[in-house]
Amino acid sequence: MARILVVDDDAALQKALSIALTARGHEVTGARRGEQGVVEVALRQPDVVVLDLGLPDLPGIEVCRRIRAFSEVPVVVLSAAGDERAKVEALDGGADDYVTKPFGMAELEARLRVALRHRRPAGDGPSTVLAVGPLTVDLVHHEATCGDRPLELTGREFDLLAFLARHAGKVCTHQMILSEVWGPGYQEEAHYLRVYAHRLRRKLGPAGGQLRTHPGIGYQLTGE
Amino acid sequence: MMARRPTPRASAPGGRVTADRRRIAAGALIGIATAGVLTAVLLPFRPDLSVATCGLVLVVPVALAAAVGGIVAGLVGVVAGFAAYDVAFIPPYGTLVVGAAQNWVVLAVFVAVLLVVTRVVDRLQVARAETARHEESTRRLFELSDVLIADKPLGELLGLVVATVRLAFGFRGVCVLLPTERGLAVGASAGEPFDEGELSAARPHAGSPASLELRTGTSASVLTVPLTAATGPVGALLAKGERLRPAERALLRTYANQAALALERARLREQALRSELLEQADRWKDALLSAVSHDLRTPLATVKAAVSELRAGEVHLGDAGADELLALIETQSDRLARLVTNLLDLTRLSAGALELHREVVSVDELVADALVSLAGTEVAERVDLLVEDGLAAVEADPVLIRQVLVNLLENAGLHAEGGGRIEVSARRAGATVEVRVTDDGPGVAEGEREQVFLLFKRAGNAGRAGIGLAIVKAFVEAHGERVWLEEGTAAGACFGFSLAAHDDPPGAAPGDATVVG
Repeated sequence: MARILVVDDDAALQKALSIALTARGHEVTGARRGEQGVVEVALRQPDVVVLDLGLPDLPGIEVCRRIRAFSEVPVVVLSAAGDERAKVEALDGGADDYVTKPFGMAELEARLRVALRHRRPAGDGPSTVLAVGPLTVDLVHHEATCGDRPLELTGREFDLLAFLARHAGKVCTHQMILSEVWGPGYQEEAHYLRVYAHRLRRKLGPAGGQLRTHPGIGYQLTGE
Repeated sequence: MMARRPTPRASAPGGRVTADRRRIAAGALIGIATAGVLTAVLLPFRPDLSVATCGLVLVVPVALAAAVGGIVAGLVGVVAGFAAYDVAFIPPYGTLVVGAAQNWVVLAVFVAVLLVVTRVVDRLQVARAETARHEESTRRLFELSDVLIADKPLGELLGLVVATVRLAFGFRGVCVLLPTERGLAVGASAGEPFDEGELSAARPHAGSPASLELRTGTSASVLTVPLTAATGPVGALLAKGERLRPAERALLRTYANQAALALERARLREQALRSELLEQADRWKDALLSAVSHDLRTPLATVKAAVSELRAGEVHLGDAGADELLALIETQSDRLARLVTNLLDLTRLSAGALELHREVVSVDELVADALVSLAGTEVAERVDLLVEDGLAAVEADPVLIRQVLVNLLENAGLHAEGGGRIEVSARRAGATVEVRVTDDGPGVAEGEREQVFLLFKRAGNAGRAGIGLAIVKAFVEAHGERVWLEEGTAAGACFGFSLAAHDDPPGAAPGDATVVG
């Protein structure tokens, strides 16, 4: 049970989501405009926000930035297919995940679940050992294990895995990963990332599926 | 006294030889007549005048004849002057016999002077004519180029070129051959048409490589001038009529070069225009696709979400929830259907096949009709209708106007704040009835009002554009009426459109069909 804020200008979709999510035991509030959505986040402090990118008053990305200015609440973005650039912008702007319209309720719910699970607990200091599903990443000792099996990773591979684990559940764009792991100036070198993601997946073995590729957008490390 | 030599162009084409003959004859006549008159005038004073004085006077007819008719007329004048002098003023009078030896000398000097005068006067005349011709050429070239400078479409330009060339050079017929996919074809012609035989003279011969590198030449009666511009040959100019003087031929060639440049320019301009149009069509297509994909996906998202929820067995929706989802699926399917109708209408509009069936209907009926189309949607329950008492009926195509109203109401429903009222009002304004649809949404920013009716992507935060409003505009304008987004409305957006009011007493039966191109 979570409190979900749906920001979408389409009344019909708003209603459908409300019925479906309520039936699944969530508490749903809605906002038809971006500005209203930002205010609702501040007032109600929902557990997760579902945000449509095509709002009439503000671009979705702007809503995302305004929310991020004061809240760490997970944001799952709704967008049209083929609008890769808008998705990347939203993710770079602080969104955690995206769902492409039209979508099934099961998919949206799964994304919401992932987003909710990795919600950063308020007040906790940064943890030194990250656990994502069967995967654990020890940031202090630079060690990673998958189940009981230690992983032999190069420095860069470890950095990549650690970055994704720190943002587990969130879709990280190519640009985000490259500038954080490789450093500024590497933002355009998406092919490095492809090579390293491939190696990492091989070394993870059966858990390789945890590292998800979002073509044209980025990567996501999930617990499942 | 100098007679003005008629310019060759003032006469009809082909009359140049006749004109020359006439001029010579006139000069000769003037010479003979003046000689006769002067002789008659001098005869009474013959005893008091010296032989030489009379000779001096008789130079006048020769000079006149040469001035008017040139050298030939001058020589006629010489003969007339000589005869008059010898017969009337050199003793013995009345005969051609020359008496005293001294008179022989006078006569010889007289003839020599006459010949020199004739020659000098003729020279002068020829030089003057040459200058005049030169001036004329320059003037004509100037006039021709003037025509070419103006930026005109290719077709019009071709017409001008052939017409001016025909007039300026006095040809019987002129045409321009342009390269096409099937070889050279007549692009424009003026005057007498060219037959196949004449045209084939300019065409490359069968079996020889096709080329426009024609040479200036005269075959039988047709003159061919290549039109060559910077990028290569652009065509050929064919003319038939009188043979041209070398100076005129040079002039024609110069003109042909200018015409070629102008044609090339016109062609390039047309190419640029075409590619710009294509680009525009491309942009339009992109905009349409984007609008369609947005407008179609929105209801589809709800349908898909609702259906997937209904199918997922593990969730307990309860009967009410399931019913609500089913109702949503129905309304959104209707919305999709309306969008598809809009799309089809749009296709018909762009194909120019929209037929207008005007009928006399009341605004109430039109609105009621539109609400039937929107039945079951949230919008239908929020509409307030405000119609002036005794409002005249309108003449409109009910099917199209229903679509206009449906689109405007749907748009208002999308943008009105949750559950706000939508007002439809109608009132008389001159010869029209103005219908307004007002919502209480956030309205449209001043700078974006003009773009609202464009078939454009929902740009940034505009959010109003899409297929629906583009259709509204197209349908209203198909009636010859206008549609607008009202300025200065305090709350929300107010879309208005006009319809022709129908005042005639019932009985008159319009309902005629007009085709809108």
